[in-house]
Amino acid sequence: MTRVLVVDDAQTVRLYHRELLEQDGFDVDEAVNGLEALERLADTPYDLLLVDVNMPRMDGYTCVRRVRTDGPDIGVPVIMVTTEGAAGDREQALSAGANLHMAKPVQPEVLLSRVRLMSGVLS
Amino acid sequence: MPLIRRDDAAPAPGQERREIPRDREGLIAQLDDKRPVARRRASRELAGDAGAVDALCDALEREQDEGCRHAMLTALLVTGGQRVQERLLPLLRSEDAALRNGAIEVLQGMPKLAAGYMDELLADPDSDVRIFAVNILESLRHERVPDWLRGVLERDDHVNVCAAAVDVLTEVGDDHCLDALRQLPARFPGEPFIAFAVRTAERRITGEERGDGR
Repeated sequence: MTRVLVVDDAQTVRLYHRELLEQDGFDVDEAVNGLEALERLADTPYDLLLVDVNMPRMDGYTCVRRVRTDGPDIGVPVIMVTTEGAAGDREQALSAGANLHMAKPVQPEVLLSRVRLMSGVLS
Repeated sequence: MPLIRRDDAAPAPGQERREIPRDREGLIAQLDDKRPVARRRASRELAGDAGAVDALCDALEREQDEGCRHAMLTALLVTGGQRVQERLLPLLRSEDAALRNGAIEVLQGMPKLAAGYMDELLADPDSDVRIFAVNILESLRHERVPDWLRGVLERDDHVNVCAAAVDVLTEVGDDHCLDALRQLPARFPGEPFIAFAVRTAERRITGEERGDGR
């Protein structure tokens, strides 16, 4: 089963993404900040990370940079989901190592299509 | 034979104490030291010194080492006060997410000052700043938190600001917030996330369990 790690400090967002993805057949884990995400990645291989930016303890950009430099799977696909829609945020996300940036709120069908594509479900 | 990591640039124990003054001026000078360990130590020793707030904030804004930033933010939290608040609020507009989040965490720890700036922050023209204001409310121990959040639900026209407020209410909301929560999906009819988040918050506030036949 394709495994996705949802990284967001907002519990409603984590629950929402979990419900959407599980209904679509994904196996979903959650982390509440970048540090917890790195801990989970050390133990579990994931097919995709869905990462928020603004989180306490470790923000999403720092988390993705760490994943890309010294994570156990530096090539894992990453989608960053931010509340900011400005071009600068997209650039920061891609510069940190994300494969794709999406601005909240993301419509369910758009999120699912991107997750399917990025996690290799369609390949 | 055990390996002992040694930083040749670091002075021997005790030597530094003699060479570098440990007064405010000496410690502030060390905030620019090339060695992160010296910057961290100086930050820790400046904690509680109201006269060092500006120097710590200046250093924080140029600091790139994560551990040093943490030490500086902790020192500012320990010191607290109006000047710390005045210096940290502009950082909510920083492009540096780690710096922004650090400022939010320190401001969460200074609840007595929140009433002086929260109304203005929640009315900021920048929706991202309003979201960060809601983030501050998340862990702010202040009696007006539910009122501020209810005001966001009733008046803010940005979906992400309202979504952030609903998320916080999921944790701290009470019966007084239910009306404003229930009216929110009608304000954002095309946003399924808002409907989901409101249902979640409502269940938590009223004590309903998941799987209740929704």
